[in-house]
Amino acid sequence: MNNNSGFLAWVMDPKRRGPMLIAPAIIVLLLINIVPLMWSFGLSFFKYRANTLKPPKFSWFYNYEKVVQKEGIWEALQTTAIIVAGSVGVQMVLGFLLALLFAKKFPLRRILLMFVLTPMMLSNVAVAIYFKLFYEPEFGLLSQFVQSFTGEMYVLLATPAGALIGVIVADAWQWTPFVMLLVLAGLVSVPKHLYEAAEIDRMSWWRTFTTITFPYVRSLLLLAVLFRTIETFKIFDLVFILTNGGPGTATETIGVLVYRTAFQFFRTSSSAAMGYILLFAVIVLTSLYLYVIKQRESEEM
Amino acid sequence: MGGKMLNLAKKTFLAFLASIVLSIGVSKAVQSKTVEIIMAAPDWPPTRFMQEYFNSNFPQSGDTEIKLTLDFIPWDTFYTNVAASLTSGEEKYSMIVSDSQWLGAFIEGGYFQKLNKYIDADPELQAIFDDMHQGYKEGYTTYPYKSENYYGFPQFPDNYVNFYRTDIFCNPDENAAFRAKYGKKLPCTYADWEVTVWDDIFDINEFLTRKKGEMMAGKPLEDDMFGVTYQAGKAYDFSSMQINGFFWQYGGDIWREDQQPNAQAVGVVNSDINVEALTKYLDLLATMHPSHKTGGMGIFEMQALYLEGKIASMINWVGLGAPVVDPSLSKVYDITGYARQPGTMQADGTISRWANLGGQPFVMTTWMTDEEIDASFKIIKWWLSFDTQIAAVKAGGQSCMKSIIYSDGYNALAPWNAAYVASMDWQKDVWHIPEFFELLTQQQEEFDKAITGQQDAKTTLDNIAEFQQELLEEVGRIE
Repeated sequence: MNNNSGFLAWVMDPKRRGPMLIAPAIIVLLLINIVPLMWSFGLSFFKYRANTLKPPKFSWFYNYEKVVQKEGIWEALQTTAIIVAGSVGVQMVLGFLLALLFAKKFPLRRILLMFVLTPMMLSNVAVAIYFKLFYEPEFGLLSQFVQSFTGEMYVLLATPAGALIGVIVADAWQWTPFVMLLVLAGLVSVPKHLYEAAEIDRMSWWRTFTTITFPYVRSLLLLAVLFRTIETFKIFDLVFILTNGGPGTATETIGVLVYRTAFQFFRTSSSAAMGYILLFAVIVLTSLYLYVIKQRESEEM
Repeated sequence: MGGKMLNLAKKTFLAFLASIVLSIGVSKAVQSKTVEIIMAAPDWPPTRFMQEYFNSNFPQSGDTEIKLTLDFIPWDTFYTNVAASLTSGEEKYSMIVSDSQWLGAFIEGGYFQKLNKYIDADPELQAIFDDMHQGYKEGYTTYPYKSENYYGFPQFPDNYVNFYRTDIFCNPDENAAFRAKYGKKLPCTYADWEVTVWDDIFDINEFLTRKKGEMMAGKPLEDDMFGVTYQAGKAYDFSSMQINGFFWQYGGDIWREDQQPNAQAVGVVNSDINVEALTKYLDLLATMHPSHKTGGMGIFEMQALYLEGKIASMINWVGLGAPVVDPSLSKVYDITGYARQPGTMQADGTISRWANLGGQPFVMTTWMTDEEIDASFKIIKWWLSFDTQIAAVKAGGQSCMKSIIYSDGYNALAPWNAAYVASMDWQKDVWHIPEFFELLTQQQEEFDKAITGQQDAKTTLDNIAEFQQELLEEVGRIE
């Protein structure tokens, strides 16, 4: 009993209370995040396939060399970059325009806003299946619409360009509301008296936008670009379900390539090396954006 | 009098109830133990039948109750799920319905149990092995391919059959119009299809491709109509299976694993004959339903088009036949005929009909207890027994046991049986080696580029041959 109360008293000591309270979270983080990360990093320096009984064999940078020399990864990075540029670009433009629309008050605004926000709340799998059906040549709405003019079925996903457009449209449809929401948060925070002052000064719409509205939403817009670039760079489920990386390898993103290498080819250590290259690319992108944001902040100061 | 009768009825009823309770109690007491066999299985009619038929017909005996639980997994993700389960070490499955191509990967991984010692010790199992059709035995049970090392038993044997619309192909007006235009008969009967070759399909497809609203077989079409259709999907093996058949029918080949390390990929896979065969496959595809342009003409998509009456014929697995004759699923349930798939005319006037073996064996895993092994063999013997196999065939399944397929009345059990049995001697299997999925996926991607018009047959086969040569040299299978 004394021992117990002694232990409790030791644990509840105000000096230790803080560390003890966060300890479970740290342990969970270590176990499910840091340890596997280190494990897979270590594995990327071995030759190992998870579907064989052969033990891992240390191979220095063999996997990194092999992965970098393969054409597949550069093609996949290029495809990913096209999808990121296309999708994030569309999201920014449409998200900004929608935010400008919803910043104003009009009848049924709240209900309409709810509908516009719905896509980002859906699961990626549901969105992918929806668009797969939407693009389907036999009964898909897109094909039916085109067929009513041309008399021929329209097969959007049949060409590399069409398939890329199909993926970009689906991704942009789902995530434009997210960008809109962030920008909207910035727009509603602009002090009203600035607009009143601009009105008194008879400033043009464009000047009001560039000198009052945009500076208030710029940092949030950059944040949206950052989030969406990182997320789109990792895109997997939408592409895998919608096009399976096809036609051929035209929409095979780096995420799909890593999955195939790991779980279809069972080149476990090669896929680990690819995963770290992907992680490195995301870290570079993140640092770049953070640097830009800091530069802007320092300019504003 | 009425009261006495009521009492008598009550007593009889209670005695009846007591006897049921007692018999259940006794049987439970006798079968004091339960052994559960969990089997990973693709989710489709042949495996669903196995579960239902086991639940209602498996003869329990001795003091152990055997329970079979099939874990149904959709086909598209079946390999990935099974591979993930095996490599994760969860040891969930005692038995697995495995595609024959997977044998090498999972045997080398130490997951599939070698069965030779059990077969050698059990005359019943030996009889089963002796009774299997040779080509199917080699495909479903051996690793290395065609060796004497046995790993599986047939769960569902399968091959291609031509499902065709008799209301169109046998319509007198359509036949007359076809004869007038092309100077030959539109194939209607099994015998007509026996002399039909792939070159004839160009004419048939040109003739049968019609727009919505046009007349066909005396009725206006509700949708666009297309002729004969075959697999051309990017997923899994949904183009390789059909294309391999073209290679073999033309006299070409794939890399021969049974002749390693001397067999080469370059020069064989991209041989002129294979290029010619692939070109023919692609040219024919251009006359078919346009869904292949998305890389999405898999076996299920093709089946859906046929069930909806949007294509006049499909070359598909027998395993997908049951829904065709189900009135609740099919618009063509009573107007479908069955034949062998067309072949390729040889110089000597014969028709080559080589095709890629379909179907799956079931295998046992290496972590099973003695009790589970014993229970699994009881399930295997029950499944491959005459009565169960006949019931499976009647329900849309198939058998590769010679005592069944060559028995009297077999062809009458299901409408496609004649075509199935006639095709059995024309089956070859694709690779069984552990690297099969890498070979398959790269090949599927390259075929998909050709199918979607991004590259020609020669470039496609050069890319495949080069990849296979490099990979197989790297793992020591080519010297």
